[in-house]
Amino acid sequence: MVTDSTADLPDEWRERYGIEVVPLKVIFGTETFRDRVDITDDEFFRRLATSTRLPTTSAPSPGEFADVYRRLARNYEGCISIHLGAQLSATVEAARVGAQSVEGFRVDVIDSQTVTMPIAFLCKVAAESETLEAATAAVEERVPKARVLALLDTLRYLEMGGRLSRAQTMIGTMLDLKPLLLVAGREIKPVERVRTRSRAIPRMVDYFRGDLPIEHVAVMHAQAPDEAEALAASLRTDLPGQDVAIGKIGCVLGTHTGPKALGIVYIKK
Amino acid sequence: MASRRPVGVDGPLFKQALLGSLNWLAANHEEVNRLNVFPVPDGDTGTNMLLTLQSAVEDIKESNAAEVSKIAKLASHGSLMGARGNSGVILSQIFRGFARSVEGKSSLTPRELAVALEEAANAAYRAVNKPTEGTILTVAREAGRAAASAAGDSDASVPGVIAAAAAGARAAVLKTPSQLQILREAGVVDAGGFGLQLILEGMLKTVEEEESFHVDATVAKAKAAQVSLDLPEGGWGYCTEFLIEGEDLDIAVIRRDIEAMGNSVLVVGEPELVKVHVHTDDPTAVITRAGRYGKLLKLNVGDMDTQHKRILDSEAAAGRPPRANGVGLVAVVAGSGLVDIFRGLGVDAIVEGGQTMNPSTQDMLTAVDGVPYEEIILLPNNGNVILAANQVRGLTKKKVHMIETRSVPQGVAAVVAFRPERSGADNVAAMKAEAARVQTIEVTHAVRDTRSNGLKVKKGDVIGLINDRLEFAGTDYAEVVNKALGKLGPDAYELVTVYRGQGASDDELASLESAIRSNFPGLAVEVQQGGQQHYPFILSVE
Repeated sequence: MVTDSTADLPDEWRERYGIEVVPLKVIFGTETFRDRVDITDDEFFRRLATSTRLPTTSAPSPGEFADVYRRLARNYEGCISIHLGAQLSATVEAARVGAQSVEGFRVDVIDSQTVTMPIAFLCKVAAESETLEAATAAVEERVPKARVLALLDTLRYLEMGGRLSRAQTMIGTMLDLKPLLLVAGREIKPVERVRTRSRAIPRMVDYFRGDLPIEHVAVMHAQAPDEAEALAASLRTDLPGQDVAIGKIGCVLGTHTGPKALGIVYIKK
Repeated sequence: MASRRPVGVDGPLFKQALLGSLNWLAANHEEVNRLNVFPVPDGDTGTNMLLTLQSAVEDIKESNAAEVSKIAKLASHGSLMGARGNSGVILSQIFRGFARSVEGKSSLTPRELAVALEEAANAAYRAVNKPTEGTILTVAREAGRAAASAAGDSDASVPGVIAAAAAGARAAVLKTPSQLQILREAGVVDAGGFGLQLILEGMLKTVEEEESFHVDATVAKAKAAQVSLDLPEGGWGYCTEFLIEGEDLDIAVIRRDIEAMGNSVLVVGEPELVKVHVHTDDPTAVITRAGRYGKLLKLNVGDMDTQHKRILDSEAAAGRPPRANGVGLVAVVAGSGLVDIFRGLGVDAIVEGGQTMNPSTQDMLTAVDGVPYEEIILLPNNGNVILAANQVRGLTKKKVHMIETRSVPQGVAAVVAFRPERSGADNVAAMKAEAARVQTIEVTHAVRDTRSNGLKVKKGDVIGLINDRLEFAGTDYAEVVNKALGKLGPDAYELVTVYRGQGASDDELASLESAIRSNFPGLAVEVQQGGQQHYPFILSVE
C-alpha cells in the first residue's frame, strides 16, 4: 500500500498496516523540505509565521514513486496507491507515470479526489480488504463519498497558493471573512462565509449533521489543538460508538490553509 | 381677471392648491430640517418632504384635467415614485389615501373633501407597521378630524374645511412634544408633522387667494417658477445631479444660475451642502458653473437608459457567472469604501445614499429593475430609507424582499450571509438573523445643542450612538467608543470592524485602534476604509 504525505496518516496506522508514505515537498525560498521527513508540522508552522515569503509546495516526482514501487516489487505482486486529489495536485499523475516505469508490477493508482485524513480512511479500507481487486473496488466505491469540511482562519494562503480564487469563494471583498469550504467530488465550494470563528464552528457542525450517516470521521486542525479537542468531544456526544480521531494538518496542506484551520473530514455511508 | 369662488374642489383648484403647498413648503423646508430630533447629521425631513412633494406635482404641472380624481391620481403616483425618507413615504401614502377616496369624482363637496382628508390619514396609518403618536400620522389624523367637524357645519365651504384642517394640524404639531419623549427632551416639535402642516397651510393660502381674487395666472406662474417645475420641451437631455459642499452657499443664487442652463431644476439644501438636479443639454457647462461655489460631490450625469446600462455593465465587468438561485442584491450605501465592500460581497447594484441623502423610491426602483434577476433582496441600510424601500415592492414586477437593515454593519452582516445556491426565501431568513445579531456603534459630532436620552450635548461634541440610540457624548472618538463598547459588554463579542469615514484622520484612527486593543484585549479589531460622510467612525460589533 502506498499513499502520500497529504493523507495525514496516523503513525499508528502506518505501522499497523505497513503503508508506504511518499512525501510531497515544501519549499521556503531556496530550501526544500520533504513533508514530515525533513520538517515537522510544528517547525513548519513556526517558519510559516516568521517567513516573509510564503512557501510553495510540489508533488513528488515520478522517479520517486518509481523507486518506491520498485522496492515493493521485490516482495509483492502489486499495490494500491491512493493519492491527493488530481484537482489539487499533480501527485496522482506522477504516481501513474512512475508506475509505468516499473514493469511486471501492478499498481492500482487511485485519485482520491480529496485531501488529508479521508485518504487515510481509504488506506484503512484498502488495508482491511482481502485482495488487491477487493481493495481497489472498496476504495473506488468510497471516493465519491469523501468529504472535507474546512474552516480557514483566512483565505490568504489558499489564494496565494492559487488553488482557489476569491470569486469562487464569493469573497471578492477586502473584508476578512472566515470561509467554510467543502471539498467533495473534485470540487471545492464555499458552504458559508462567516465573520467570526465562534459562529463558523457551529455552522460546520450543522452541515456535518446534514451529511450523516458516516462511516469514518476525524477532526483535523493546524495549530488549534484545543478547538479540535472541543469539536471532537461534541461529535463524540453526537455519535456514540463512533471513533472520532483528531489529526494534525501537515506542512503541504498547511501551506494552503494557513494556521488555525479546523476541519471535519469524513466518508459518508 | 375674473375669478370664481371655489364651491367644490375640482381638478384645476386641486392643482393650484398643490402648487401652492409646494411653494410654501419650499419656502419653509429649512425650518423643518432644523427640527431634527437627534443632533446627528441625518436625513433632513424638510428636504425629503419637499423632494417628495416636488415629485408629486411634477406630472400635474402639465395636466389640464378638469377632474379632481385625475389630479389626485397623478399626485399619488408622483409622490410614490419620488418618496424619500420616512416622512416622504408617509406623505405619499397620504396622497394615495386621498386619491382612492376621490376616485371617479370630478369635484369634491366640502364634506367629500373632509372625508378624503380623513381617508388620507387612515391610509398613512395603514402604511406603517407600528404607528407612533406624536408624528406626522397624528397630525394627519387631527387635520382630518378638524376638517370633518368643519364640514358638518351648515355653512361649510371648501376654504373653511381646508382652514380647519390646517388649524387642526397646527394644534396637533404643537402637542407632539407631549406625546413623544424624544421631542420633549430635544425641545422641538415633530418635523414630519410640521411639514404636513406647511403643506395644508400652503393649500389654504392658495384657495384663500383664489377666493379673495388675489391670485391671477401670472402671479401663480411666477411663484411656481421659484421651485422650477418646468418640464423639458425637447428631450430630457442629460440628467445631471451633484452636491455642492461649501460655506455660506446661497441657494437662491445657485438656483438662478442652474435654471438658466436646463429644465427640471431642483436646488435644495443647506448653506453647507446643496443638492442640484437638472436636465441639461450641456452638463459640462453646469458642472463648471457649479464648481465655482464649492466642492462637487456625488456627481452623476446620465439618463435612465445609461443608468440602466451602467448597472448591467458593472455586472458584466465583475465577470460574475449568473447566480444559481436567480436572486439579485441591491443595497443603499454611500462612501466609496463601503460601496466597494458591498460590491465585493456580491451586491449587484448600489443606490448611492444613506445618512443625509435618502434615496427616493424611484432611485431604488431603477436599481432593482436594472439588475438581471427576477427576485431581488433590497437592503436599505438606514432607518430613514426603510419605508421608501418598502414601496419598491408594489412598483415592480419583480419579487422584492426588503430586509430592514438599519445600519451599514447590519447590511454587511446580511450580505455576508447570502449564499448563491440557496433560495431567496432561505437567504432572507438567514440574512435577517445575521443582521439582527450585529451591534452598531456610530460616532459623529452633534450638529446642535440638545438633550436626548438624559444626555446634555453641546454642538460639536463627539457623540456615540448604539443601534441608533444616542448613548454617549464626549470630546474624543476613542473615549466615546470605549464607553460604547463597555456598555455593550465586550465579553459577549469577538470582532470589532471599524469603518473609517472621511472625517477621521490617520492619528485619530490610530488612537482609536490602540484604545480598543488595550482596553478590550479579547476583541479582534479590523479596520476598513468606509469613506462615509458625517460619521468619522462606524463600528460593527459581533
